[in-house]
Amino acid sequence: MNSFFQLIARHRVLASTLFLAVFPFIMPYEALAINILIFGLFAMGFNLLFGYMGLLSFGHAAFLGIGSYLTGIGIVHYGMPWGYAILIGIVGAALGGLIMGYLAIRTRGIYFSMVTLALGQIVYYIFYKAESLTGGENGLRGVRVDEFNVLGIPVDFLNPLVKYYVILFFVVLAIWLISRILSSPLGAVMEAIRENEKRAAACGFDVARTKLLVFVLSAAICGLAGSLRALHLSIVPIDSLHYLQSGQAVMMSILGGMGTFFGPFIGAAVMLYLEDIVTTFTKHWMAVVGLVFMFFVLFFPKGIWGTILSKLQINQDSK
Amino acid sequence: MTGLTFELLCMQLLTGIALGSIYALLALGLCLIFGMLNVVNFAHGAFFMVGAFLGVYFLGITGSFWFSLVLTPLLTGGIGLLTERFLVRPLYGRGLDYPLLLTFGLSYVLIEVMRVTFGIEGLPSVTPEGLGGTVNVGIGYFPKYRLFLIAATAVIILGVWFLIQKTRYGLIIKAGAADQEIVKVLGVDIAKVWLLVFGLGCAIAGLSGILASPTRSVNPEMGIPILAESFVVTVVGGMGSPVGAVVAGLLVGMVYSMTSLFFPDLAELSIFVLMAVVLLIRPQGLFGKAGAMG
Amino acid sequence: MHGANTTPILEARNVSKNFGKFKALQNVSTNFMPGTLTAIIGPNGAGKSTFFNVLSGAFPPSSGQILFNGKDITGLQQHEFARIGISKSFQITNVFKQLSVHENVRVAAQMEVARYNFFRNAQSYPKPIEIADELLHRVNLEQLRNKKTGDLAHGQQRALEIAMALACNPSLLLLDEPTAGMSPEETLVMMELIRTLASERTVILVEHKMKLIMGLCKRIIVLHHGEFLAEGTPEEIQNNAEVRRVYLGQG
Repeated sequence: MNSFFQLIARHRVLASTLFLAVFPFIMPYEALAINILIFGLFAMGFNLLFGYMGLLSFGHAAFLGIGSYLTGIGIVHYGMPWGYAILIGIVGAALGGLIMGYLAIRTRGIYFSMVTLALGQIVYYIFYKAESLTGGENGLRGVRVDEFNVLGIPVDFLNPLVKYYVILFFVVLAIWLISRILSSPLGAVMEAIRENEKRAAACGFDVARTKLLVFVLSAAICGLAGSLRALHLSIVPIDSLHYLQSGQAVMMSILGGMGTFFGPFIGAAVMLYLEDIVTTFTKHWMAVVGLVFMFFVLFFPKGIWGTILSKLQINQDSK
Repeated sequence: MTGLTFELLCMQLLTGIALGSIYALLALGLCLIFGMLNVVNFAHGAFFMVGAFLGVYFLGITGSFWFSLVLTPLLTGGIGLLTERFLVRPLYGRGLDYPLLLTFGLSYVLIEVMRVTFGIEGLPSVTPEGLGGTVNVGIGYFPKYRLFLIAATAVIILGVWFLIQKTRYGLIIKAGAADQEIVKVLGVDIAKVWLLVFGLGCAIAGLSGILASPTRSVNPEMGIPILAESFVVTVVGGMGSPVGAVVAGLLVGMVYSMTSLFFPDLAELSIFVLMAVVLLIRPQGLFGKAGAMG
Repeated sequence: MHGANTTPILEARNVSKNFGKFKALQNVSTNFMPGTLTAIIGPNGAGKSTFFNVLSGAFPPSSGQILFNGKDITGLQQHEFARIGISKSFQITNVFKQLSVHENVRVAAQMEVARYNFFRNAQSYPKPIEIADELLHRVNLEQLRNKKTGDLAHGQQRALEIAMALACNPSLLLLDEPTAGMSPEETLVMMELIRTLASERTVILVEHKMKLIMGLCKRIIVLHHGEFLAEGTPEEIQNNAEVRRVYLGQG
């Protein structure tokens, strides 16, 4: 059993890809699988900052939202090809991350969570008010991806299964990038700063600059998740930007296991699958989420995957 | 902009002070909890909401606003006590984020409980008898309730100040915030202090809720933006500074009010922009200590 | 051991530090020559820790200057101190608890090589790994290289911290009570290590244990109530009436 976990830890990108390739066939319907893909990526991007650097941001919905809206606006108002639209979504989110990060990193510890929540709300209000571009309260509608060709083969984006694999392509790219980041020297510095900021600084690492860099990378990944979401839903709901959406990323990370590679995805899958089931027989999903989350915070802070790993006492990093 | 007179500006300012009074009270409660326990109460907005609901509810069944005004904070404070004792206390050793996360989850539960109890539409807000109508304040007619609001929050804030500065309990709270070890050595049960301070903070939040209820719609989601707004006040005033909380609360209320006079669309945004500016030029807030932030 | 030049490697000029109304340091001036091993001592509340923190870059002085090899470095940030060659160990052990022993030193050694690279695999840089291997051997922790730092004994953690402080090859090493909480055996080992280090680079020590210092250092600085009281060789300090009065036979 141990060696199985070591194997997937060592080849985590491949393992994720293989699993996600068959994932839509074990889910009740494709839209749920796509949702899990998108929010899994959102949670992974968030986890880079939270689990690996120890910075609890409550404003990450801003990046999901910026990615969604910029991609949507590009397609709806400017007729951009969807590939470029994704690109501006990512770049816009990264820029947002630069600004928000720069302002938020001037604060420490718990203040950081408060500040990022409030800064995220600025983005919310800006997009809310820019009605002509964003549709305001009603959200942005009509984000369409026309049929396109890959190597001469027509791709019907409206087919749910096809849509899943197109989105999966981007998600796998992002997962691969995240894996590289975590194994890189920056990844080691990130964890060092999380473990002991003073010591990291005394070793010569510019803590503030590292935090900012990771903030931007994290924002870009969440922006990609947002872009993909806009293409999937064909609309961009205004609530994508609200801090409750940020809270969802936090919950998914804790549920799955913060600071682990597979944790955020597992958290997203469990949470969305649970929501799918629970909402069929009660409308009090919010209470269920709150209770489950509190339960995990109190008794399973390592999350599902984190707890499994610690029980097996394996080193979580792949070498 | 026709009719922009000195009187109108003053009235708008007064409205801002009324709004700011609520913010000041809320931020004060948040500050007490943070100063003493190092916990950011992410359920603060939810407690505000619960206070508003309980206030309207008890006013409805007893007809007495004053009774409601006393009972509501006791109840929200009580919920706060239970929260600290059973949900937050187990998390103290673990790291500063955990109590914050827990209170966030709690807010979800509180919102849903209120939805179930009072319905998703909420309750119609009620202005207590005797406090309705307007009063001539010299420059114009101002809603009597808002004057009451300003006066009541001033009294409460003074009361809290008195408690902290002049009583033995306040001394323990101040000392405990500064150095928990010393307080323990002096034989004070620090756990009890944490319990009471958290309860006090939640009581204040609930009190803000009932006081604010006649001025806004009472629904289960009303606390959600309030949480963000209390954070704005806290950042502007300076984390851990009660004086900062009160001053910033009033300032934010006035900024909101004046902006809604000139640029009504941008009122909500304006207070967040204020916060961003403060973060840029003085990250520790107006009354915060340099080095504590930034 | 002594450089041909006469520029002090580190100099404090009229350094004062206030915390609100409390004056932790008042007008302390002194300098440290390259290749020397100096101890800073003083009774409790003398300001040793504050002085250490100012010298090592934890925070800037309220007034006064710090010069490194003649250059003014007052106000530089902690990580900038490390980059110019000033390294430190803390009074309370500060290591990376969730990382293994080897990783701790490897990350510390990474500073020179590839700080912000986020694409190449960290394992593909041989230099930090070599440095980590060498330093762990030096402080006798190579057997424990894969152990999680949180699982180490206290003395071993402090030895690890010294290894980390050495990873960036500093010309100036500041140690804050390096033997705090150690057993007599561990203390002896640490003393030997410090003696060897002092032959390679400049070392400044804050210490409580008098016997240790007397045998180890050629120069001692005494602080009292945040002010400079005396300096000299161990014999001179022991015979200094002021120092004796202030210490009342401590140590």
